[in-house]
Amino acid sequence: MSKIGVFICHCGENISSTVDVVRVAEETGKLEGVEFSTDYKYMCSDPGQTIIKQTIKEKGLTGVVVAACSPRMHEPTFRKACQEAGLNPYMCEMSNLREHCSWVHDKSEATTQKAIDLVRTLVEKVKLNKPLYPIKVPVTKTALVLGGGIAGIQASLDIANAGHKVILVEKDPSIGGHMSQLSETFPTLDCSQCILTPRMVEVAQHPNITLWTYAELEKLEGFIGNFKATIRKKAKSIDENICNGCGHCTTKCPTKKIPSEFNTGLGTRTAIYVPFPQAVPNKPVIDKDNCTYYQKGKCKICEKLCPTGAIRFDQQDELVELEVGAVVIATGFNVMQPSGFPEYGYGKYKDVITGLQFERLASASGPTLGEIRRPSDGKIPEKIVFVACAGSRDPAKGIPYCSKICCMYTAKHAMLYQHKVHGGKSYIFYMDIRAAGKNYEEFVRRAIVDDEVNYIRGRVSKVYEENGKLIVKGVDTLLNAKPVEIEADMVVLASAAVANPGAEELAQKMHVSYDSYNFFSEAHPKLKPVETNTAGIFLAGACQAPKDIPETVSQASGAASKVIILFSQNELSREPVVAVVNRSAPPVYSTCVGCFMCASACPYQAIGEELITDRKGNVIKRVAKVNPGLCQGCGTCVAFCRSKSIDIDGYSNEQMYSEVMALLNND
Amino acid sequence: MNELIQKATILLESNSVQVVIGYGKGSANRTRAIFITQAADCEKLIFDSRCIQNLAVYLTKQEIKKLGKPAIVAPIPVLRSIVQLAAENQIAENDLVVLGVTPESELVEFESFAAIETFLSTHRIEIEGKYQKTIEMIKSMPVSERFAYWVKELEPCFKCYACRSACPLCYCTRCTVENNQPQWISVASHPLGNLEWHVMRAMHLAGRCTDCEACYNACPMGIPIHLLTKSMLQDVAENFGTYGPSLDKLNALSSFKPDDKESFIR
Amino acid sequence: MTEFEPKIVAFVCNWCTYAGADLTGTSRIKYAQNVKIIRFPCTGRIDFMLLLKAFGEGADGIIVSGCHPNDCHYTSGNFHARRRWIMFRGLLDLLGIDIRRIQYSWVSAAEGAKWADIVNSTVKTIRELGPYTDYAKVAGYLEKEVKE
Repeated sequence: MSKIGVFICHCGENISSTVDVVRVAEETGKLEGVEFSTDYKYMCSDPGQTIIKQTIKEKGLTGVVVAACSPRMHEPTFRKACQEAGLNPYMCEMSNLREHCSWVHDKSEATTQKAIDLVRTLVEKVKLNKPLYPIKVPVTKTALVLGGGIAGIQASLDIANAGHKVILVEKDPSIGGHMSQLSETFPTLDCSQCILTPRMVEVAQHPNITLWTYAELEKLEGFIGNFKATIRKKAKSIDENICNGCGHCTTKCPTKKIPSEFNTGLGTRTAIYVPFPQAVPNKPVIDKDNCTYYQKGKCKICEKLCPTGAIRFDQQDELVELEVGAVVIATGFNVMQPSGFPEYGYGKYKDVITGLQFERLASASGPTLGEIRRPSDGKIPEKIVFVACAGSRDPAKGIPYCSKICCMYTAKHAMLYQHKVHGGKSYIFYMDIRAAGKNYEEFVRRAIVDDEVNYIRGRVSKVYEENGKLIVKGVDTLLNAKPVEIEADMVVLASAAVANPGAEELAQKMHVSYDSYNFFSEAHPKLKPVETNTAGIFLAGACQAPKDIPETVSQASGAASKVIILFSQNELSREPVVAVVNRSAPPVYSTCVGCFMCASACPYQAIGEELITDRKGNVIKRVAKVNPGLCQGCGTCVAFCRSKSIDIDGYSNEQMYSEVMALLNND
Repeated sequence: MNELIQKATILLESNSVQVVIGYGKGSANRTRAIFITQAADCEKLIFDSRCIQNLAVYLTKQEIKKLGKPAIVAPIPVLRSIVQLAAENQIAENDLVVLGVTPESELVEFESFAAIETFLSTHRIEIEGKYQKTIEMIKSMPVSERFAYWVKELEPCFKCYACRSACPLCYCTRCTVENNQPQWISVASHPLGNLEWHVMRAMHLAGRCTDCEACYNACPMGIPIHLLTKSMLQDVAENFGTYGPSLDKLNALSSFKPDDKESFIR
Repeated sequence: MTEFEPKIVAFVCNWCTYAGADLTGTSRIKYAQNVKIIRFPCTGRIDFMLLLKAFGEGADGIIVSGCHPNDCHYTSGNFHARRRWIMFRGLLDLLGIDIRRIQYSWVSAAEGAKWADIVNSTVKTIRELGPYTDYAKVAGYLEKEVKE
């Protein structure tokens, strides 16, 4: 038999000024199963909570309804109070008399009547509540970090320095990511490699970090604290344990004309290659698609020359299964290939390049050793035009968002050009200058004032070649939309930052959500910026949205700290509001008929199957089973189940049904 | 159909199957489902235009399952139900032999459920014009009149659940109508309970119904309950474009598109 | 005769509309007393049978509200719910159950004013439509029989 206690809060005068709280207590006290009802000035205060606790003990209450403010405010408070008095915290419900009643209605009989209705509804619900117990799940204290750019590097180092094991997986032969390709970084103009390389080495040498380059995530299963990841370690065709990184093979490889990815196609590399001199690990891989031996069956020069005998042509991809407790996605971004803009002539004219290509030209380790030279003829450009927002903020190109980094790097590019090419002239076509950030605006000012970069507010309509010059046609909207024409030697497109080509597939593999541009979605745009909606999977860097290095590093440290918090516990406690598939006596065992429609509707892939067997192990029935570690308690499956075989604790069919009945039956 | 009889005989003689679910002579001029376990009885099998019962309903019944592996005589509506049952994990490919019968009364064998699906892609569900007109007529009534129309139509229902028994997709072990915690639908056959029962039945078939009309054919009171499911089939087509059974487990209700219509949502 | 006071039940999700209605309160925006909220974890949890039961128990109108598309706390509960509503509406409409009496809406946690507006406009609509006597008659059949 239910013994419910009803506690009506005045909330000072917040509730009692429009609701007759005494009458609410009186009326609800008459309800069947209500053992005790009272009202008090501040239920959440210490004396208020004491009333609840004492009554639970004295009257032996089986359930409590606190009619006060929103449960979103004080549900934890009152549940804790109940627990302290020995009542299961989930036997406590709150009726929202403040936000949903007293604050939105004037003082009247109808307002008091509504309050009575609301309390009665929760009384009927709480009668059907069941004691629930937090779900405990163990935690595997190893983190998987996907992506070895600056985001992945930072996250790995932070987690590893906190004393936890990290497995860092990078798809390319070296870690470093886009940051290793950059020349100098805004707003300080310090050399990117110089600040990054020590970090890369630290990763390689850290006792807590296992680095797997040339590897990709194949599959991810499981749930927070208990993921099972399958990693594909692509065949590098060398034995890394034997290779000493002498580099003989890379100098002697006869296939030399492969466009270098690292140099964005502005330089070449061999088929057996190390992507760049500072690569970590500094050991080569064989690019099978371009290797003469793999393609034609003859060559093996590298094998003959290798002093340690490390070449392994028969090496196969290896699939490795790992148990990890958390995952940090740090897979970065890409730049839009501006084949999307025929009007700018990218791909048609060699001297129309992307911002990333300009980085390579400006980099001391780049194909021109840091001299700004035209890809077509190697001449130093006397006039250079930068086009900001190439693709970004252009719904017609499918990218309505701002790529965020281009304003700053374009200013930097123009500045570097001015520093390197004395007497050169640089122009930047821009829509707006977005230089929000510490010392950013000052940086742009320096470009304009000290380095005399010509900023033209307007867009470029067309770029075409004429007499060896690139004619840039645009408009200056600050001069009454006056047409502008510049005869340039080189054009640099600040092409939009876009998601990686494999981002969508990766998101689906990991069951994290992604936006319409294939950037991964954070769990909450403000309050959970590094979490995904899948517990235990976190985001770092530009895979979530375009961002610059400082922001990426802070987000990576944020994600790392979330992982460290997770790993600070041996067991996780989860809200026990989860779905359960019913069980009944033989011969039915469960009313679930195993259609698994619920499984396809579950946003968390939390529903699997269970085989009910007899004592001899014969399968009697195949039914759905909810993994309480994965279930987040949305209840979509419950409304889906035709035979009502799946139900959710805390919002059960019986509870919701009785609420509807109680709410409407006030006569 | 000698071919059918021959095939069934071979299947039973070779013990490839233990029971053949097919149509046989019923009372008066009707046909009924028969369950043949002896090869010699196969000549009782008939197939003609009177064979409208959806035999797929037996595939999930425990009593029939106990007889062993079945072969089933499967005209188009049965084939559709088989595909839907397969999509819902109720039958497995190796658990039955499908003796398909084309609209031209030709026997056709299927190697896989996928082959049935392919075959059905050229035999799509179509809501007949007369039903479209009736549904349109009902929808054109003022709301109050429409409600009264249905209350009257459903009045003769005495909850015998023949509609449920005849439907191959109503295979639940315990129907929600038999669930009394809470009592979702009152047991008595009064107008509210009747209405709730038929709303629930139709909703449970939304995106799943294969339009075999077994429910209507089984109703002893001739209540046009198939209009409900037919109208929902139209709604599925109109709103989601998908139509008819598919081995793809995602049906109209277990899937979604982020840009589904929502003009009715404020 | 006293003015008709509609009974309206609101089925709302915990994360958006319930929080939005909290904001209506915090912002002290007034609305009619007729609407009473039942909290669900997600619109995906809202069983169509509960809507039917609400009419059966004398509701004159129903509000169903949750997170905007793409804002669902559980990613896709509202998308599943929306499909169910589309089918349910079609069926109810065919049966002559007055779908004008069910207001579906997306109200986010930031839309306190929108919640007040949804409540007030729904109350207005239901006032104009009057008590749901058609359904009440059908629902009352059993009681009458038992009383007799």
